[in-house]
Amino acid sequence: MNAPPTRTEAPPVLAAEDLSVRFGPKTALTGVTLSVARGRVVSIIGPSASGKTTLLRAFNRLNELTPGVVTTGTVRFNGVDIHDEGVDPVEVRRRVGMVFQQATLFPGSVFDNVAFGPRASGYAGDLQELAEEMLTAVDLWSGAAEDLDAPALTLSAGQQQRLCIARTLALKPEVLLLDEPASALDPAATARIEALIHALKRDYTIVLATHGRRQAARLSDMTAYLAGGELVEYGPTESLFTNPRDSRTESYLTGRIP
Amino acid sequence: MNAPTRRRDTLGIACGAAAAAVMAAFVLLAVFLLGEARSVANPDFLLDAPSRAAGRAGVGPALAGTLWLALLTAALALPVGIGTAIYLEEYASRNRLAALVGSALASLAGVPSVVYGVAGLALFVRGLGMGPSILAGGCTLAVLALPTVIVTSRVAIRAVPEEMRLAAYSLGATRWQVVRGEVLPAAAPGIVAGSCHALTRTIGEAAPLLVLGAAAFMTFAPHGPGDPLTSLPTRIFAWTTRSEQDFASLAAGAGIALMLVLLLVNLAALAVRRRMRGGAR
Repeated sequence: MNAPPTRTEAPPVLAAEDLSVRFGPKTALTGVTLSVARGRVVSIIGPSASGKTTLLRAFNRLNELTPGVVTTGTVRFNGVDIHDEGVDPVEVRRRVGMVFQQATLFPGSVFDNVAFGPRASGYAGDLQELAEEMLTAVDLWSGAAEDLDAPALTLSAGQQQRLCIARTLALKPEVLLLDEPASALDPAATARIEALIHALKRDYTIVLATHGRRQAARLSDMTAYLAGGELVEYGPTESLFTNPRDSRTESYLTGRIP
Repeated sequence: MNAPTRRRDTLGIACGAAAAAVMAAFVLLAVFLLGEARSVANPDFLLDAPSRAAGRAGVGPALAGTLWLALLTAALALPVGIGTAIYLEEYASRNRLAALVGSALASLAGVPSVVYGVAGLALFVRGLGMGPSILAGGCTLAVLALPTVIVTSRVAIRAVPEEMRLAAYSLGATRWQVVRGEVLPAAAPGIVAGSCHALTRTIGEAAPLLVLGAAAFMTFAPHGPGDPLTSLPTRIFAWTTRSEQDFASLAAGAGIALMLVLLLVNLAALAVRRRMRGGAR
């Protein structure tokens, strides 16, 4: 396991320290230590059931909604232990946004979906304006007010996933956790999502779980390789892909481990 | 010979016959009831008080009693039952205690209604001094309806996709916002259907009310929960114990009146469902 090279002086936005998570008798993560520097895109790669989703959900305290979960170790957000007594998980989730593998839109209009988070947190500004801004950011805004009233579930799969991203952006989070956001999409829709992630790099710290090796290589500054709930290797994407230090990483990258 | 097709056809015919038998049973029930009740088919029947003279008897007090009981049972059982279901599904951690409560409720749903009557007699009529009143009847029927309301509401709440909850939580919604804004609207059709079923079964019960001491003969309509207990099912029971043919007609007429009340409850449930769907953002 490698300590991440610190390319900036600022403290990491997210940091897991000796993090272990199990669901009942099933261990999902074991002793993961990893930090995410501000403004970076970090990819989490690894086979199915390697703990990618669990690691992402540890960063916004979503795992604790599953009955029987036990989390040990520390997760810090801007230096603060998010499991501290005084920390409200609702506040953590507002600042650490998440997009799921499957587009999980609420029944209702496009506007209702984008406005969900701001409404829940009592946003005082103009929701209409905010929704337009967010839809523009994900390229779903054609300039017509009807776009907002369209039933969300009539959009195409790719549009739905971009709407999910807009919905998360509407909370103006600091971090985006993207859990295989394009794995259910066709190549064209995937390309649009990737272009969007590329554009979002400017404003957000992004943690991207993916089993697309090339997607990780294209998009991220840092890459972590998880296998069986353990962090095998973590380092700058380029060196991890061209010169992996662990033989297991090499096996995965060359496709010997599916 | 094409064996698979033949088998499917046989199954289709058998199922069609079953459906036809059900339809026939319904038609027979309706024809029999309407035929029996022919002699009492006039609006006064719904308003008049029962009388020793069959020709002048009506179901007025019993109908008013059943409407009061329906109102009280709904007002007591629905908030408590749906609230309990929400608590058990969304708040209580799924631990051993919650599992115990769950199996206890399932057992309670299977307890015969007459046993609830005995418990109601001890608790409400005597223990809390309500006497054989509409209130005691409503409380007993509410307790009788509760397990069914809770169990069916829990099923409806559990059927809401977990992804929807997680998406709402991940967008910074509080537990109450998730429950109120996402889970309840999605579960509402199932909750309303289950509650309606529980309510109609309960309102049709005669046994627990007879145990509580429903008035056999009441000549004035109850005006509130404190008045003596009377209802259509107990009225029907009283009339069917008489041997004269006229009283059989009265019982059939009362049966039709009871089914009209149940139709009313179903229509109310339908209206609630429609309004929820229309109101769903």
